[in-house]
Amino acid sequence: MVDSIGPNHSNKQRGLRSSPYTNYAAAAVSGEEEGALKEQERLLPIANVGRIMKQILPPNAKISKEAKETMQECVSEFISFVTGEASDKCHREKRKTVNGDDICWALGSLGFDDYGDSLKRYLVRYRETEGERVANQNKAAAAAEAETRAGGVSPLHFGFDLMEKRRIN
Amino acid sequence: MRQPGAYSNLLSGGKMGPHSLPLARIKKIMKKSGEDVKMISGEAPIVFSKACELFIEELTKRAWAMTLQRKTRTMHKEDVAAAVMETDIFDFLVGLVSHTPNPSATLES
Repeated sequence: MVDSIGPNHSNKQRGLRSSPYTNYAAAAVSGEEEGALKEQERLLPIANVGRIMKQILPPNAKISKEAKETMQECVSEFISFVTGEASDKCHREKRKTVNGDDICWALGSLGFDDYGDSLKRYLVRYRETEGERVANQNKAAAAAEAETRAGGVSPLHFGFDLMEKRRIN
Repeated sequence: MRQPGAYSNLLSGGKMGPHSLPLARIKKIMKKSGEDVKMISGEAPIVFSKACELFIEELTKRAWAMTLQRKTRTMHKEDVAAAVMETDIFDFLVGLVSHTPNPSATLES
């Protein structure tokens, strides 16, 4: 019995790993559909965007699909624009990783001062909570380590997990 | 992908709500913005998810003002375009709203 793996895998895979091979696989995918999939990858989901728009408007307001699509495009452009500015700063300062402070700085630099200010506070709270979470994980890891020492599970396992969670490469 | 799950658990614990925008997608868009963008800290997409919310809210409010000027209750893409033209900090969007191809015209949803 042979499992089908690799390029002939089902279309469900496409959502998980957007490698060129999964797209190439399904013979039914036309050029147009493929273009649409790539399009979706560079935009935030219309449902999420539409929801945020709706929440800020009066209850009887209606939003055309085109307006939501335009907003999707604008948000992606916003992300690129701000990221570019933040990335330039990192480059000038010879740093490799774009972090939250860089984003806040870039927002201020590009005229989005209000965003920058309230986001700095958001970031401080996030880091505090993250610090608590990591401290709790360390406690749990230490307890687990004591327990599993006899069982031969490597205590380093938790250490690597934490590193993985802190950094997206 | 565990990363977004880890953050939601953290944040739904009280002070901060879950994110309304997918972190993985934000990260993808960030990476596409330039060759130089290689390493992104875990917190950057989280900051962006909030920033994008604020951005959408501001642009939507301004677009709505245009809609009201047309004495109607349905926002159209022209209202968004008009709001962009009117606002200095949205100058980077001028090219985009002047000739955005309409995806729904070219393919069936």
